[in-house]
Amino acid sequence: MSDKDNGSDRGQGNTRMNNDVDEQDINDPEKPHQSRFRILVCIDGSDESYRGVRYAAKMAKGEDVDIVLCYVRPVDQGLRSGGLQMDVARGNMLEWGLELPGITYLKKGRNLLMELGNLKDDWDEKAFHTDIAGTSLGDNKIDYTAKSGKKIVLKLKVARDITTGILDQWELGHYDLIIMGAAARWDKKGSNPIRGILDPAIADKIATHAPCSVLIARDLEIGHGHLVCTDGSDLANEMLTKEAYIASLCDCPISLLTVVPDVESQEKGQKIVDNASNMLTELELDVVDKIVRVGEPENEIIEAGPDYSLIVVADGGKGGIERFFVGSVAQNVIQNAYNSVMIIR
Amino acid sequence: MSDGETGATTPGSKRSLAKRGALKLVKPIAGLRKRSNYLYFWEKRWFFIAMAVGIGMLQLPIPEGLNQQGMIILTMSVVATILFVTEPVPLPTVALLIVIGQVMLMGIDSKIVAKSLMSDSVLFIMGSLMLAVAVVKQKLDTRIAWILVRMTGTKTSRIAFGITLVSGLLASFVGEHTVAAMMLPVGITLIQLTSDDPKKVRNLAAVLLFSISYGCSVAGIGTPSGGARNAIMIGYWKEFFYDPSNPDTFKYLIDYVKWMMYAYPMFLLQVPFVTIILLVTFRPEFKDLSRAVVKLRTQVEKQGPMKSSDWVAILIFFLVLLGWIFASADYGMGTIAILGAAAFLVAGLVAWPDVNSGVNWGVVLLYAAAISLGVQMKDTGAAAWVANSFLTMLSPLGMDEGIGLWAAVSVLTTGVTNTMSNGAAVAVLGPIVLNLATAAGESPIVIGFITAVSSAFAYLTVVGTPACTIVYASGYLKTTDFLNVGWKMAVMSTIIMLGAAAIYWPMLGG
Repeated sequence: MSDKDNGSDRGQGNTRMNNDVDEQDINDPEKPHQSRFRILVCIDGSDESYRGVRYAAKMAKGEDVDIVLCYVRPVDQGLRSGGLQMDVARGNMLEWGLELPGITYLKKGRNLLMELGNLKDDWDEKAFHTDIAGTSLGDNKIDYTAKSGKKIVLKLKVARDITTGILDQWELGHYDLIIMGAAARWDKKGSNPIRGILDPAIADKIATHAPCSVLIARDLEIGHGHLVCTDGSDLANEMLTKEAYIASLCDCPISLLTVVPDVESQEKGQKIVDNASNMLTELELDVVDKIVRVGEPENEIIEAGPDYSLIVVADGGKGGIERFFVGSVAQNVIQNAYNSVMIIR
Repeated sequence: MSDGETGATTPGSKRSLAKRGALKLVKPIAGLRKRSNYLYFWEKRWFFIAMAVGIGMLQLPIPEGLNQQGMIILTMSVVATILFVTEPVPLPTVALLIVIGQVMLMGIDSKIVAKSLMSDSVLFIMGSLMLAVAVVKQKLDTRIAWILVRMTGTKTSRIAFGITLVSGLLASFVGEHTVAAMMLPVGITLIQLTSDDPKKVRNLAAVLLFSISYGCSVAGIGTPSGGARNAIMIGYWKEFFYDPSNPDTFKYLIDYVKWMMYAYPMFLLQVPFVTIILLVTFRPEFKDLSRAVVKLRTQVEKQGPMKSSDWVAILIFFLVLLGWIFASADYGMGTIAILGAAAFLVAGLVAWPDVNSGVNWGVVLLYAAAISLGVQMKDTGAAAWVANSFLTMLSPLGMDEGIGLWAAVSVLTTGVTNTMSNGAAVAVLGPIVLNLATAAGESPIVIGFITAVSSAFAYLTVVGTPACTIVYASGYLKTTDFLNVGWKMAVMSTIIMLGAAAIYWPMLGG
């Protein structure tokens, strides 16, 4: 299958301009978008989400990276607005010529991408609309396609809740990386504080359930490099190759970290980072730092984190039930880290 | 589950770019992991917890003073409350489950259950919602905005007060959700005409938008048509205490005017405090909005003079209002409300598809089931049992009578209403607090008013009152804003209400 894929990007790239490939043929590996790196940035209007857009923009300088900006609005429960559908209020706002917040947020994201030079005026623009039962507005989408086939998509999605919306969006587009802020709205699902306490944060849920890599942005700053945590296992090595790809997209310097339980095993730890470093060098990537720390993995990773743009961890590799009860290192790092965390799958 | 993690990874295409010669893009092609089982149960966990609680409660020995039926209905109320608060399933589902429970668990004949679902209160809620959609569709908001800015001038504080008062006056008759939907664009237009950058007008936005939502919220208590909760309480009074053969019980028939006498002064008293609290809390960046007001005027004047259809709409609504005031004793408030809705449809002022999509019919269903549950709570004696237990709990604190009990009821209602919609809160709490009043020898009217009025004090959260939910959708407010200003509002309103209960209501002979 990789034979067919090879070298035919351009030709197919043109055909896909005419198709709504974003949402179709997703399971056909021969479609060109299977060979493109696709980033889903979840926008909620917070500053953090725009930092995520900037990061995505940096990764998407190449021709083979697409960006999708997505805003998810939960379907209204009606009861909360006293039985009068929120659509009546929204419709009234539209009639006054006012924009709904989701659209404003997405436009801000688009303008940011234009400012950063990712999106240019000569790109092809196409709008799509899908009706969704229960709301008059439905899903809305604007596709921007460059001559080369590179795409930027703005998507306003309506879903049962934000988590479901983002996961559904993944099923449509099979993204490689989801970027979302850990700030504001994501932390407290919806606005009911009771539910905020009862429900794990949305970012957390996405990190658990999304089948692809997830970047949870917390004061995300560009330019301090990735801190890649490894334990030398097969899983970690597999993660390393994926991280290598992502790091190469944004030219991010990589530092390696491993944590060992006691002083005696420091040598072993050194070996682990050396091996990992060799792997990365083979992939023509430079390693800045090789760090071995002693102690509890979670604590050490979280403490070492703030010097870098983001912490990179492999998915803990536990099944659902086990994860539910035990929690993985990755999970704990995501929940407690001071800065951004990327979980690699 | 071991295969579920990253799924089978296939080698993607090799990149031809020199720099990334050795790198592979590995695509995850497995479907969403474990969504079919684990996530489903996680999302719905509160449903299963509620059901487990229900089954557990039914296994318990029946406490003294409660019969089998009472235990079942009490269990159903607890389960319904858990579902209301945690929302694991769409809320109308809870209504369906209540109906099923009444027939299958309690063994009530399905004909009787079906009858208990519809009452004048439910008709009133339904009719008011249809009227609400019809009123919003008339686009009278531009006229209101015009009158508003002409009255208030251009000073921010005066505009804020004007918005609160106008929103309130309208909301007290038309319902808070209607006015919030109508006034929201007015507020946002004023904000956007002042500055395009939301960061520069954050505090101004908070003042203007909260003026709308809190203006509507404090007014929602003013008349029975202000909110569904008022109609529910009126229904409970009639259902529980009214006896056609006993003239002493006629005072429990609270009509439109009587309600207004009790509650309207409270609303008017609160208006200036709302503006003061908002201005002190948020200190707007602009003291004067003349630029925005001038632009708004030109925008509004483009509309031209009032059309005849506008006058007809106003006339119909005025007639409905008169009907509520003078004819509701004979025909019921619900009948007048649906008469008004019918009139709007006959006059062609609103299209049925608009009404159909604008009203959330699930809410009507939900209130119908909640009221039916409340009536059952009373009939089986479960409400009285809960009330007595609650009273025994309060008596060591000296709160089992007078103002202590009022405060307890108010705090209970405020607490519950901040976690669920206020109509649902009144429907669930109504039977209990009314029995509490009887058991403690207090006036059920006063306690009922305290519950209905306190249920409007959901200033703390976005979901508390319909007006807050609608205004929050503008995207200008943060959830923390509601907390910052909400507690001040709640304290202010509670003091005013307790004052009214102690001084004003006894004068009316409640």
